[in-house]
Amino acid sequence: MATLFPTTVAPRGFVSTNPDLAAVDASVRVPVMACFLTAVHWMVVGTFLLVYASSLTHPQDTFPILGWFVDLSNNFSMFTYGRVWPAAIDVLVYGWASTAGLGLAAWLLARMSREPIRAPGLLMTGVVFWNLGIAIGLSGILLGDSTGVELLEFPFYASWLLWVAYALFAVWAVGTYLGRRPGHDHIAQAWILVALFAFPWLYGAGSVLLGAPRLPGSGVIQEVIGAWYVHGIYTLWLAPLGLGLLYYLIPKISGISIRFGSKSKVAFWTWIIFAPWTAVHDFVGGPFPAETVTTGLILSGLIFIPVAIIGMNLVSTAFVAEGKQGHHGGVVFPFLVLAAVLFVVAGISEEILSIRSANELLRFTMFRECNMLLWVYGFFSFIVFGAIYYIVPRLLDFGWRSAMLVKIHYYLSLYGILLVIAMLGFGGFMQGNALENPDPQVTIAVAAGDSVSFHIAATMCISLIAIGNGIFALHLGWMLIDWLRLRVRGNRLAAEILLEPYEGDVPSQASEEPVA
Amino acid sequence: MNIIPNFRTFFVLLLGIFLFTWFALVVFPWLELGHLSPIEEEGSTDITPWDSTGLAHAGEHVYAADGCAYCHTQQVRPATSGADLIRGWGTAKDADGKDVTRRSYPRDYIWQGQTFLGNSREGADLSNVAQRFPDAATLYRYLYDPYVLNPHSSMPEYRFLFVTRKITGQPSRDALVLPEADAPAAGYEIVPTTEAKSLVAYLLSLKKDYHLKPDEAGVPYVPPATKS
Repeated sequence: MATLFPTTVAPRGFVSTNPDLAAVDASVRVPVMACFLTAVHWMVVGTFLLVYASSLTHPQDTFPILGWFVDLSNNFSMFTYGRVWPAAIDVLVYGWASTAGLGLAAWLLARMSREPIRAPGLLMTGVVFWNLGIAIGLSGILLGDSTGVELLEFPFYASWLLWVAYALFAVWAVGTYLGRRPGHDHIAQAWILVALFAFPWLYGAGSVLLGAPRLPGSGVIQEVIGAWYVHGIYTLWLAPLGLGLLYYLIPKISGISIRFGSKSKVAFWTWIIFAPWTAVHDFVGGPFPAETVTTGLILSGLIFIPVAIIGMNLVSTAFVAEGKQGHHGGVVFPFLVLAAVLFVVAGISEEILSIRSANELLRFTMFRECNMLLWVYGFFSFIVFGAIYYIVPRLLDFGWRSAMLVKIHYYLSLYGILLVIAMLGFGGFMQGNALENPDPQVTIAVAAGDSVSFHIAATMCISLIAIGNGIFALHLGWMLIDWLRLRVRGNRLAAEILLEPYEGDVPSQASEEPVA
Repeated sequence: MNIIPNFRTFFVLLLGIFLFTWFALVVFPWLELGHLSPIEEEGSTDITPWDSTGLAHAGEHVYAADGCAYCHTQQVRPATSGADLIRGWGTAKDADGKDVTRRSYPRDYIWQGQTFLGNSREGADLSNVAQRFPDAATLYRYLYDPYVLNPHSSMPEYRFLFVTRKITGQPSRDALVLPEADAPAAGYEIVPTTEAKSLVAYLLSLKKDYHLKPDEAGVPYVPPATKS
C-alpha cells in the first residue's frame, strides 16, 4: 500500500518524447479538454441529484436536512423522486460517462492514427451540441416532459441535438481512423470502433421507435426495445470505450505487454456476440416469448468467457507489473486497475442475473440499481478518472497540483463504490427474500421495511463518492487556474511552480512505442 | 493483437453480429407479439381486452413524466417464477364477481399507448390497482397523503397534483376529504388538477378482470370464424 501512490507529482515534463505523439496531443487539446471539463461539470450535477434522489427513498427523520428535501419533493413537481432519479441517471450516463467517453475516444483515435487531427472545428461543434442536448434534456425531465422510458427520458427536443452532435463526432472519428498512418494498429482501436458503431444504432433505434409516436400497436415490444437499449448502452457503448482505454494504457504505463494477449481477440468477438443478451435479464417471468428468454439467459451466461479473458489480460498484467517493479507507476495506474477489477465484478453481477432462480429473486429489487451503478459509477467512472489523470497533463504539459488530493479522491471513491455495491447487492437479496416469500402475511410493506436500512446506507456511501468527486473537480479546477495564471502572467509564478525542488518517485516514463 | 487486418472484413463481421442480435432480440419478438388483436370472449359477443378512455390515455403521460414506473411494476409473473400471485397482484373480480387470478400476457397491453412494465418493486405492482382502489376519491387521497390510508407506505406525497383554493359558491364535487392534520383552512378546499384527474383515470383503467387462455402467451392469434 505504501507504494500505491507517489507522495509528489511531477510539475512538468509530460509531453511525449515521441514528437509525432506530442504533435497529436497538441492538436486535440481544445476539443478533448472541452469534453473532459463539461463531463466533470455533469458529474458534479449528476452526483448531487443522485444524493438528493437517494435520500428521498428513506424515512424523513434519518438526516436533519431531509425534512426540507421531503417538503420540496412533496410540493414541487420538479423535485419529486420520479423526476430527479431519472434526471440524475441520465446526466451521469450521457453527461458524465458519455461526454468523457467521447473525449477519450477522440484522444485514443487521434493518438493511434499518429497524425495531428484535421477538422477540430467539427469535433468542437459536436461537443457543443452534445452538451446543449444534455442541458435541455435535463430541464425537460425536471419540467415534466420525460418520456418515462428508462435511459431515453430526454424529450424529443433534446434527443435530436444529441443525435446531431454524435453524427458530427462520428464523421470526424471515421475520418481520423481512415486517415491514420499505416502500420499502427492496436486492439484498442477495435474496441473504440465497436462503441462508435453501436451508439448510433442503439440511440437511433431507441429514440425513434420509443419516441412519439411509438411503434404502432406494439404493446410489450416497447419494453423489449427498451431493455435492449439499456443493456446495449452499458455493454456495447460504455464497456468497449473503457476497455479500449485499458488495453492501450495498462501496457503503456506498466511497460509490460498484455499477458495472454493472443486471447484478447477471442474476448473481443465473444463479448460483442454475448453481451447484448443481458437484455433478457429484464424479461424473466414477464409477458415475453419464452424461447427468447431461455436462449437469452444461456447466451448472456456465456459472457463469462470474455469477462474471464479480459480479467486475465488486464488484471494479471497489472499485478505482474507490480510484482516486477514494486510500484504501480504513478497516480493513474491504481484507477485503471480498479476499473479492470470492477469490470470483472460487473460481469459477475450479470452472471448472477443470468441464473433463472437468482434472477427471479433479484429481478425487482435494488440489485438492479447495484448492477447499474457498477457499470456507470464503478467501472466507467474509474476509467474516466484514470483517463483524465493521464491525459490532461499531457495536453496541458502541466502536472496535477497535489498527490495527496489524488490519494484522497481514490480512497473515497474506492470505499464509496465498494460499500454501495455491497449494500445494494446484499440489500437486494434481503428485499428479494421478502418479496418472493411464499407466506401471504409478508406484504410489500415488509419488503420495503427490509430495504430501508440499505437505502440509508447506500445514500451515505453515495455521499462518500460525492465528496471524492467534489475533491476531484476542485483539484481539476485548481490545476486549470494555475495553468491559466502561468500562461497569462508568466514568469514569477512559473519560477515558483516549476523550479521548486522535485523528488520524483514517479518511475521514468515508459516507452512511447505501442506495446502490442 | 492485430484485430483489424482489413477494415472492410472487420466492418462486415461487426455488422453481421449486430444484425443477428438485433433480429433475435428485437425483430423476432416483434414479429411474434407486435400485432396481437383482442379476442372474443367465450359465450358472449364482447371482446377482451378493451380500450380505455381518452382521459386514461392522457394519464399515461403523467405516469411517465412523474416517474411512477421507477418504483411500481405492471406485470404479474406466473406462479412458477415468483410470488406475485401470492401477493394478490394478479387478482381481479370479473363481471360476475368471481376472482380472476392470473399472470400477465402480452395481449393485456395491446391498447396501452405506452407500456410501463417496470423493473423495481419499491411499491406494489399496479396491474390490478383499480381492483384494490375502486374509486377516484380514495386514489386522490392516497396520492395526496399515502400515510393516511397506509401508515407503512414509503410513497412520496404528490401534493403538487392538487390545488388549494377558496370555496366560492358550491364546494367542488372532487374536493378531498381529509383528516384534521391535512385539512385545509375553513372556507378552502383541496381539488385535483387536470393532471391528477387523468392520472387517476389511468390508474382506474388498470384492471385485468377478463379471462385469457394460458396459451395466449406467445401463440400467433387466429381470428375465430364468424359465428352464424
